Amino acid sequence: MYTELHARSAFSFLEGASAPEELANVCAERGMAAMAMLDRDGVYGAPRFYQAAKKIRMQAHIGAEVTSAFGWRYALLVESREGYQNLCRAITRMKLRARKGEGHIEAEELVEMSAGLVCLTGGEEGPLADALEKGGMARGVECVWQLCELFGRENVYVELQRHYCREEEARNQAAVEIARKLSLPLLATNGVCHALPHERELLDVFTCIRNHRNLATAGRLLSRNPERHLKSPAEMEHLFADLPEAIANTQSLSARLQFTLRDLGYAFPKYPVPGGGTQMGFLRQRTHEGMIARYGSGNEKARLQIDRELALIEKLNLPGYFLIVWDIVRFCREQNILVQGRGSAANSAVCYALRITAVDPVGMGLLFERFLSEERGEWPDIDLDLPSGDQRERAIQYVYERYGKLGAAMTANVITYRGRSAAREIGKALSFDPETLGRLASLVSAWEYKDATDTLERHFHDAGFDLKHPKIHKFFELCVQVQDLPRHLGQHSGGLVVCQGQLDSVVPLEPATMPGRVVVQWDKEDCADMGIVKVDLLGLGMMAVLEDSLKIIREQYEEEVDLGHLPADDPVVYETLRKADTVGMFQIESRAQMACLPRLRPKCFYDIVVQVAIIRPGPIVGKMVHPYLKRRQGREPAECLHPSLEPVLARTLGVPLFQEQLLRMAMIAAGFTGGQAEELRRAFGFKRSERLMKDVEVKLRDGMNRNGITGETQDTIVKSITSFALYGFPESHAASFALIAYASAYLKCHYLAAFTAAMLNNQPMGFYHPATLVKDAQRHGLRVRPIDVTHSDWLCTLEKNGETFAMRLGLRYVKGLREEAGREIVRQREARAFRSIDDLKLCVPALQKSELTALAEIGALNFVGHKAGFHRRDALWQIERVSRRAGPLLEVCEEAEGAENVSGASHSPLQPMTAEDRLVADFRNTGMTVGPHPLSYHRQQLRREGILSAADLQHLSDGVEVRVAGSVIARQRPGTAKGFVFLSLEDETGISNAIITPQLFQRDHVVIVHQQFLLIEGRLQNQDNVISVKAERIRPLFVTRAETTSHDFH
Amino acid sequence: MAFACIHVPDFLVQSVARAEPALRNGALVLISGTPPLWTVVAANAAAFQAGIQLGMTKSQAEEFPGVEIRQRSEAQEKATHAALLDVGWSVSPRVEDTAPDTIVVDLEGLTSLFGADEKIAQELAQRASRMGVIPRVGVASNIEVAIHAARGFPGITMIPAGEECERLGGLPVHVIATETEVLETLERWGVDTLRALAALPVLQLSDRLGQEGVRLHKLAQGAFQRSLILALPNLHFEEEMELEDSVEELEPLSFLLGRLLDQLCARLEARALAVRAVHIRFDLEPSFEPFSENGAQALTNGFREKSAAKQYVKVLTLPVPMRDSKMLLKLLRLQLQADSPAAPIQKIVLGADAAPPRVAQNGLFVPCAPDPENLELTVARLAKLVGDSNVGAPELLDTHRSENFRVRKFSASKERTRNRQKGETRFGRETRRGTHRSLAGFRTIRPAVAVTVEVREERPVRVCLQGMHGDVVVASGPWRSSGDWWQEDAWNQDEWDLTVDFGVSHGQREHPVNSWPQYGVYRVYYDALRRSWFVRGFYD
Repeated sequence: MYTELHARSAFSFLEGASAPEELANVCAERGMAAMAMLDRDGVYGAPRFYQAAKKIRMQAHIGAEVTSAFGWRYALLVESREGYQNLCRAITRMKLRARKGEGHIEAEELVEMSAGLVCLTGGEEGPLADALEKGGMARGVECVWQLCELFGRENVYVELQRHYCREEEARNQAAVEIARKLSLPLLATNGVCHALPHERELLDVFTCIRNHRNLATAGRLLSRNPERHLKSPAEMEHLFADLPEAIANTQSLSARLQFTLRDLGYAFPKYPVPGGGTQMGFLRQRTHEGMIARYGSGNEKARLQIDRELALIEKLNLPGYFLIVWDIVRFCREQNILVQGRGSAANSAVCYALRITAVDPVGMGLLFERFLSEERGEWPDIDLDLPSGDQRERAIQYVYERYGKLGAAMTANVITYRGRSAAREIGKALSFDPETLGRLASLVSAWEYKDATDTLERHFHDAGFDLKHPKIHKFFELCVQVQDLPRHLGQHSGGLVVCQGQLDSVVPLEPATMPGRVVVQWDKEDCADMGIVKVDLLGLGMMAVLEDSLKIIREQYEEEVDLGHLPADDPVVYETLRKADTVGMFQIESRAQMACLPRLRPKCFYDIVVQVAIIRPGPIVGKMVHPYLKRRQGREPAECLHPSLEPVLARTLGVPLFQEQLLRMAMIAAGFTGGQAEELRRAFGFKRSERLMKDVEVKLRDGMNRNGITGETQDTIVKSITSFALYGFPESHAASFALIAYASAYLKCHYLAAFTAAMLNNQPMGFYHPATLVKDAQRHGLRVRPIDVTHSDWLCTLEKNGETFAMRLGLRYVKGLREEAGREIVRQREARAFRSIDDLKLCVPALQKSELTALAEIGALNFVGHKAGFHRRDALWQIERVSRRAGPLLEVCEEAEGAENVSGASHSPLQPMTAEDRLVADFRNTGMTVGPHPLSYHRQQLRREGILSAADLQHLSDGVEVRVAGSVIARQRPGTAKGFVFLSLEDETGISNAIITPQLFQRDHVVIVHQQFLLIEGRLQNQDNVISVKAERIRPLFVTRAETTSHDFH
Repeated sequence: MAFACIHVPDFLVQSVARAEPALRNGALVLISGTPPLWTVVAANAAAFQAGIQLGMTKSQAEEFPGVEIRQRSEAQEKATHAALLDVGWSVSPRVEDTAPDTIVVDLEGLTSLFGADEKIAQELAQRASRMGVIPRVGVASNIEVAIHAARGFPGITMIPAGEECERLGGLPVHVIATETEVLETLERWGVDTLRALAALPVLQLSDRLGQEGVRLHKLAQGAFQRSLILALPNLHFEEEMELEDSVEELEPLSFLLGRLLDQLCARLEARALAVRAVHIRFDLEPSFEPFSENGAQALTNGFREKSAAKQYVKVLTLPVPMRDSKMLLKLLRLQLQADSPAAPIQKIVLGADAAPPRVAQNGLFVPCAPDPENLELTVARLAKLVGDSNVGAPELLDTHRSENFRVRKFSASKERTRNRQKGETRFGRETRRGTHRSLAGFRTIRPAVAVTVEVREERPVRVCLQGMHGDVVVASGPWRSSGDWWQEDAWNQDEWDLTVDFGVSHGQREHPVNSWPQYGVYRVYYDALRRSWFVRGFYD
């Protein structure tokens, strides 16, 4: 019986064309009980291969093709854990000393790392083929002999592959002769590169991408035939009928390879306890101290909870994990880095006491088992939110320093081929011109909602491709085939794995593109599947905003705001939330959140927790939003789905909103065990969980039938639970986010200038463009001053404006101005004020003409030299001369003219910009204007035409016909809204919302998507002060040439 | 002194509509690109009004009802441009070829022929209309003013001397400035018309935009003076001869060709040029069919020919520019002997592409090579014997497809270069790695011959080749190759090396027709797409 022992997956990056799962499944279909996957210089796909094989009860042998110093590759199979560790170390060693994607291993290095590995002589990329080609039989014998010396005679197999190729067969004959001469076993393999024959086409395309060729020019780099697919044992036996021992040996070698990834040998590091005590004792001590600080000494409920948690932590032998996370948090606090744990860790009172999280789980009655359970037998998951940027990097570097380069690494992020990238790269291989590919890529929809016609086929048609044309059809087929196959390895944004001892013996490590970073070859799901503990150090833009706000408040307002002790029930904050006046506030600023806030009318912190959780696909599709809101408003009774669920759903008025509630419902209503509930939780989190959810649904219904819950109630419960497959929040996670949301709301309400500056200094982030944030702040009374090289810093700053503060826009908002040039302007200005534009150029010679032009065009040079009446075009006139220096002959004349400019006598013959010109210039060079909104210039005319402003809509009753106009600041087509499109329009009075039916969107697609100013006619909807216009007619509005921007396609 | 400018707006569209006047009345879109990826490159006003945008794909444009779609035609543009020049030359020899869509005519001295300048302008417009285009005409005493008037205003525009600045003032600056950077600067300055530009102080403008600024300033004022750049004949020389009596035989034809070649060479000599290629066009007597299909197949590296009804067309490309009319005649004679016109000749058109003559002196250390002219003659003689496509140097193509090569034009100098670079070619690595080093010679049969193969248990056992029946003694294979799956001419073949006994073992002694071995190793393949067996060749 044949076993395939040499196959590459798509994780050989452009050298294999099938996913590991596909290889495993096809292998099982062909009737093989085991298979070995050997990807190039890595075990990237091993966890997925192992998991897939485990499901179908197939044995997944692990190995790799490791590049030698001469370019050929050792084909290595792992026999034991020691072999696996050696393989990982060897790959790590070669990778870490080379540039990303490169590296090779020296034979001498393998001497010490060959134990537990079996070496095959390889196919055409192997050492024997290379030796035979270079030196014939003699060199071939020498080569195999060297392999025997390196790996031991019993661990070398002479590999034979047959792909119906003359040259290969000549090599095989030589190989057989060598094997006989050295008494080595023969081994048949098929050198598999793709699971199915037709995937050879994709392999050819990958070959083109790898070699920077196209199919027409790749020539003999392409495969000769499609024979490198997974063949059945019968086919292979037929192929090697003359050498039956080569087939038989596959079975015996497979039996030798006992290692699987279950036997990884991973251990989480021990925390070095000062003074030599135990980790548990140290943890108890730290927790106790924290408990006193958090709860005081008399909170018996908290003490009992903490004791219970500590007991479980001790039982599961996890104190090291908690101490390590605590240590990171402690480092951050010492370094004044804002940090907050989120996710299920917020369920833990120990985490709260250790100041890892800021949500009190005892006070909120959160479920500890959701975080840690004995039954689940998996590592807890603690995510830490840090300010994005340098602060987060410092925390990451601390972990590296603490656990060593080979003890900690980032998890990988496998970048896969998606719509645009797939079309672009395959199109290149098929020799389509770049313009056409660009057009296709731009057409691949970025809308979240995909209607039935929103297919790849449709995109091709929209791009002008006729699918009946054979070449186009092939293009299309390949694009479909390549979807989701790995493209390259990136670095996960924050997942860090740490290990007791050497992480490089658990998984190979690689250098990341970012200097100083090391990544493992697996992504975070793979790490979790393999039981490797990770700590997510996530960069959160809002954390950086909060941190920057506090700094500005400290420096400018001379006040100290402690986020840990904000007033819990600030009336201004809640009033603002009830008005949905939440632009810029964390998690509650989107259009959908704004549409919910006036109905939910938050009064306390828990309401914010609900608010954060309710606008998620799970509750929306599960039709839980409206019932909850109606119950809050007292419009329908807070009845439970079933009396037995009363204890679970009481706090959310009988409507399930959080993940924990769904799990408990399953346990109560359908009798799910803890394990089954865990399976359900995984189904919630799994990317493509449709099939999993179907399985779960069957179990749910069976369970409920047994418990007597049938009919409509059963359907509703099933619908509630299964809809959470579309993503919903755990309560603890929502609580963590709600804390940040509250903090951002508090700062915006009470320190608008500081908060706005911090928001603008941390862009891009959030839901709105900076232009919208500025206009919103202005409407709230903040004076925003324009960019001015005599006042602006690189970042936005505050300036005293009487008793209040004005915000000065920073130079960072000048498009095209390099940061070093901007910062140099500030440095030079601090040394001496600029006397003229010539002087500015002399002081900052690095300033390029385009940068000066941008500065002049937005009026940032108007105040240089303090010349009265100096306008933007005067500056533009001057910079043209400044940038074109005269030669030595005329320098004297120029100096005279420069002096004239300094004295202020010379302006320009140009007319000052009109308001329209200024708008165009502002948007072109900063993406915003601090002057009046473009619509305000046309308000009188708009009024004459019966067009209302956003503010006017507030006073109208439901159902009236209205016309409203504005600049589009957001376009959304959420996946949960069945094709409806939501537009947010901004004018000088505020933001209005429009709802567009799928039919209208279909009809006026071009106008809706491409026009920046729209006039919308329709019927006003005013439900509980949530105001929107249901559009009936839409047309473009021509108010300015300025190119405003919008935030689209969320 | 006055100048008239004729400008054809929407030149691309008008060029196509010139050939199909009916298209002028509706919406017309021109597409261009590599099929099937067409995009809209031009459209008329009616099409834009219907919603057409430049850059749309053909299928998008097809969704607009009533819009006619045509391909952009560079030939028609060239013809329109030539017609435009003809319009100019029809009134004056002093014509400037300003742009494909624009020419300028010097009106000096034409008054006595055509009347006042306005009359001449009308005459030019009418003549252009007769050529199938709707032009704009601008007349001024200044060349650039005439051009800008034609480009900026519809119909006929007369600009009297002294009124230039005033009349041009309202035109947008892009009429005179074409550099994007300058246009952007002017836009930032708020200078959008020629009047605004003319009002700027010239010295300061010079400081900022350099000499280009000064030039634009003068242009805006209508004061930029320059001389007319007369349209020069191009480097294509043509001689033609209408024959009173048709010529059928080579000898009298050679005499006529010799005369024409003498004239061509004399003209070239006068301009110190030589012939790079000779274009031959014969108009044939209509009573005969156009020349044979064999002639049409003779597409080679040296000779390209185009079949057209009642015409015989050939292009003789020379390896080096030459001016020896006798040598050229010899080459033409050989060409005509190899591929004769299929009917008597009524008209001879001989064109010559000119180039500087070759340098006769080679480097001191450059090895001797055959004289290129004599070599060309020899190659032409060989081509006469074996056909154009069978002369040259074979060149293997980089593909797994068996026996795939092309014959490229032989060039001694290129061969030398290639030999020097041996081992550095991109196939070098593949040659080392991929080629089976066989000591046996292999004789290829071209084209491959169909064969009947009897297969048992997936292996060939008996072969029937052109009446010969033989048993397969040894079968080695299959060697499988397939490729070009993305093209229509994909291939998929299983190749076998078969030792075949045609009769030796059966006592048959008849001699095979093709002298193929009666007992030998044949390379036979099964073409899976054609579902047939073929013999590729045999091992010597």
